[in-house]
Amino acid sequence: MSSFGFGLMTAAVLAIATVGFTMQFAVTNVLNLAYGSIMINSAFVAYYANAHGVTAWASLPFGVATGAAASWALNRFVFTPFQRRNPAPITVVIVALGVDLIGTFGLQAIVGGSYVSYHQSQGHEYHIVGMFLSGLQLIILAICAVVLVTIHWLLRYTRLGKAMRATSANPNLARNSGVKTQFIISTTWLISGALCGLAGVVFAMNTGVFEATSAQLYIVLLLAAMFLGGPGEPYGAMFGALVIGLSTEISAAYVNPQYKEVIAFVALLGMLTFRPYGIFGSEKTL
Amino acid sequence: MSAELSTQGLVLTATGLSAGYDRRAIVSAIDVQASPGKVVSIVGPNGSGKSTLLKSLVGVVRVLDGHVTVGDVDTTNMASEEIAKIGIGYVPQVEDVFPPLSVKENLEIGGYLLARREIPDRIEAVLEFFPRLKGMMTRKAGKLSGGERKMLAMGRVLMLSPSVLVLDEPTANLAPMVATQLLEEYIRGFADHGSTVLLVEQRAKAALRISDWTYVLGGGRIVLSGAPRDLEQNPAFVESFLGGGAAPPPSSD
Repeated sequence: MSSFGFGLMTAAVLAIATVGFTMQFAVTNVLNLAYGSIMINSAFVAYYANAHGVTAWASLPFGVATGAAASWALNRFVFTPFQRRNPAPITVVIVALGVDLIGTFGLQAIVGGSYVSYHQSQGHEYHIVGMFLSGLQLIILAICAVVLVTIHWLLRYTRLGKAMRATSANPNLARNSGVKTQFIISTTWLISGALCGLAGVVFAMNTGVFEATSAQLYIVLLLAAMFLGGPGEPYGAMFGALVIGLSTEISAAYVNPQYKEVIAFVALLGMLTFRPYGIFGSEKTL
Repeated sequence: MSAELSTQGLVLTATGLSAGYDRRAIVSAIDVQASPGKVVSIVGPNGSGKSTLLKSLVGVVRVLDGHVTVGDVDTTNMASEEIAKIGIGYVPQVEDVFPPLSVKENLEIGGYLLARREIPDRIEAVLEFFPRLKGMMTRKAGKLSGGERKMLAMGRVLMLSPSVLVLDEPTANLAPMVATQLLEEYIRGFADHGSTVLLVEQRAKAALRISDWTYVLGGGRIVLSGAPRDLEQNPAFVESFLGGGAAPPPSSD
């Protein structure tokens, strides 16, 4: 049952990250492999705020703002200029990979290779249906729930969310209907970036200690969760994150924990081979 | 037609227009005009550039030379969203709705430029015009039949009460009876209530029946134009587009 608790926490953090990742992919058609590096950079900005006397929770907005600003800038100054030249999809993927490496190892060059942690209490420990969860973990679960409900509300009930879904489904038709798709795309990068920054900080809080390359393999979990649920499907991303989070942690109880990411690799390969649109998706849509 | 959907049309004019992709002109030296209260149709064989011409009028394809005006406004190479704001409603031949969005959400996106409080009334007005959509508001657009989908596509553009309707083969893939109803009842109806209608149509006979003026496109250029009654007396036109048989008399509209 303790593995289930770990799995639930991994799933919660992964769900925040994957929803942002898949939403941005659906609207902008860019597979942003630099997501993991923006997560860890955001975690470090929050860490420095925390190290300068801001409480860990109060430093969370710094991480969120960093993720949003970095993602917006990445789109504005890197991806948009590339996309204007109508590149092959693989070109954009390679650019994203390059940005990821620059982001991760550039950060490492600045902060060094030491592990750090937030000055933060884990809070009381609670025994809930056989799981031991700390107060911190319960707050992270609550944040995840609020984020997922908010994203659902945004996409289903707001003018912006409907315009995002329309832009995702057919950008030309959206423009013909009067939707300023460039504004919608920029806003999507901001929102997905904010989720990326939030995921980075709660990821760092959840793992306890972290360093510049801690999120380097996280992109595999993200891709596995996204392809499992269906690329561009936020509800699929929630489902994918739950399955990948639980399966990787529960498997760690039976096999060497060092191999737990292999489960995500296998899920990713399996989905890409047999059902590339994922369980929920039939086409790339929001 | 519901009073709320009636719009006073604007004159749409293309002068010396060339347009295409990657600086390669698909259509050249095009002069067309569509006026309020009239249905103007463009017919021609496959690959003659009909869809490219329409797309260049609504900002989807780049105009390489010439001008497009709507009323007094020069809309040449204006962004699609700005052209929508001026009052041009465009229904493409394919991908004319947002499949993952519900019927209601499609209509809401159609009314994206309206104030939030205006949208429910506009949806009501559109539903009055296309009552068949009433019972399927929560259904995803991707699950509609061809005819329902086309009604939704037209309902979507009607949300903004467009002054000019630009329709690219609205009857493509529709059953003959549905196609006839769409052309004769709805599309002719828009023009009769003052809108300007510019229509590309493969079914030349059906297009002529509802048109006030027809352009014939061939090899990216206008090769013939005239009132349907006159075109039906032209042997070359009859041979090429009406199957060589006797044409039905044009509509008295």
